Amino acid sequence: MANNTLSKDEQKLLHQMYWRSFMLYSSVTPAKQGASGFEYSMLPFINYFYKDPEDKKEAMVRQMSYFNTNLAMSPFIMGITASMEKENATKKNFNADSINAIKTSLMGPLAGIGDSVFWDVLKAIAAGVAISLAKSGNFLAPIIFLLIFNIPVQAVRWYGGKLGYTLGSTYISKLYENGLINILTKAASIVGLIMVGAMTNQMVLFKVKWNMVMAGKTVLKTQVMLDQIFKGLVPLLITLLCFYLLKKKNVSINYLIFGIIILGIVVSLLGIA
Amino acid sequence: MLYQAIIVALIVWLTVGGQELLGFTQLGRPIVIGPLVGLALGDLKTGLLLGAALETIFMGVVNIGGASSAEPGLASALAVAFAINLHGGLGVALPIAIPIGIIGLQIKTLIYVLFVGPFASRFDTLAKQGNQKQIVALHYGLWASQWFIYSLIPFFAILFGSTATQEILNMIPKTIVNGLTVAGNLLPAVGMAMLMKILWQNNISVYYFLGFLIVAYFQVPLIAVAVMAIVIGVVSGQRDFEMHQLNKKVTEQKSLAAANVQNAQVAGAGNDIEDDDFFD
Repeated sequence: MANNTLSKDEQKLLHQMYWRSFMLYSSVTPAKQGASGFEYSMLPFINYFYKDPEDKKEAMVRQMSYFNTNLAMSPFIMGITASMEKENATKKNFNADSINAIKTSLMGPLAGIGDSVFWDVLKAIAAGVAISLAKSGNFLAPIIFLLIFNIPVQAVRWYGGKLGYTLGSTYISKLYENGLINILTKAASIVGLIMVGAMTNQMVLFKVKWNMVMAGKTVLKTQVMLDQIFKGLVPLLITLLCFYLLKKKNVSINYLIFGIIILGIVVSLLGIA
Repeated sequence: MLYQAIIVALIVWLTVGGQELLGFTQLGRPIVIGPLVGLALGDLKTGLLLGAALETIFMGVVNIGGASSAEPGLASALAVAFAINLHGGLGVALPIAIPIGIIGLQIKTLIYVLFVGPFASRFDTLAKQGNQKQIVALHYGLWASQWFIYSLIPFFAILFGSTATQEILNMIPKTIVNGLTVAGNLLPAVGMAMLMKILWQNNISVYYFLGFLIVAYFQVPLIAVAVMAIVIGVVSGQRDFEMHQLNKKVTEQKSLAAANVQNAQVAGAGNDIEDDDFFD
């Protein structure tokens, strides 16, 4: 690892980030997932890079955005994000929007890789070994299970954070100097938007249970009909409505969250879903 | 009984809750909880064997809001505790533990949506104020309180016995629990909307619909979507890069031409042809 290019302070910050990133999903919320955990992991960097309290607040608001990825992969993204915050702190006309664009474009792909490698493969291996040990009465089974799973995961987390930060520090400032950062931001935003579209379909779920019944016979299956018009139409419309209210009407997410909770209970009471 | 109730509740708090605190460490899996409860109640062997059996059952279960399955951690802790108390095997313990595990998952959704959910905007407000201390306090506080509430289920389940607990939990109206599950499935829309607010530019907004379409109609796994998105991103980036280089050349030539025109003006005194327009 290119440790020698990092200053002592930076190494210390990265270690702090590693420990804090364990808590990424401690207070996970339905609307913003690991936003507060990401913020918590970023705070040491924000405090170190920014001296002006207003800049600090701006960075804190920026890092409190929606975040959801595979936990093993998260320090890598945090490393890159931290290196961009550093650029933003030192260069006055840095485009701060590019930070969230790149952060967002990374979390989708890395969630895909991380989930299949760690959830599907590694966990199955660890559980398989541990189950056979436990069945033969070996008391070390749970410990072996935790070790097989956690040693690779922690290695990826530890080195991933450093790798992300070093990559970010080397390339982001080069791109910035060439004036190519806007091109990267646009490309990252495209990747991000495609992933957000894909995630909208996967994560925002709604199924209509209500069917039109005439004389004891189901004459119209509502969900089937909706699917024929466009699959996932209702979640898409609800997401777009939230986006419209958020962007154009400046509605606070408080109202959106309570609105959706009430909506859920109402459609359940009416027997629609 | 009180001792058992407290110790099992504590184990659930520290393992099921603990794996949220120490993310992704698998502390809340049956293979870990089984032996731990067994050890605490003085029958490690039963705990170990039941833990292994339950791990096999729950191996494929990754809970994402669906109310159809049981929460593995709670179900295992109770299954092992009941098995040791009743001196029975998996056959005795499972029929008691699974229903409570299913209700446990519903309660988890309830806490997640109704108790933790509204704090998302509180975090935003605190970030705007730059109040780091409160963010950290809330971050840990929400963890501790939500899992404390959750660990009350095994506490009462063991204290009052399984049937009584199940009856009380069943008193929560079905439509409300169902409604909260519906809301929990819809709430990511708010997060998506916030991401869109960051990324949305009118000239690239069509890509959002592309991503939605690919998953909706082709059921492509997220990783394949990601690779495709990166290909599109790279292609678009390359084109932008070429445009950038081209622009640079044009501006260089323009300034060169401008210099030439200036020279010509000095020489030809007001005889200017409208050269400049050509480049605009």
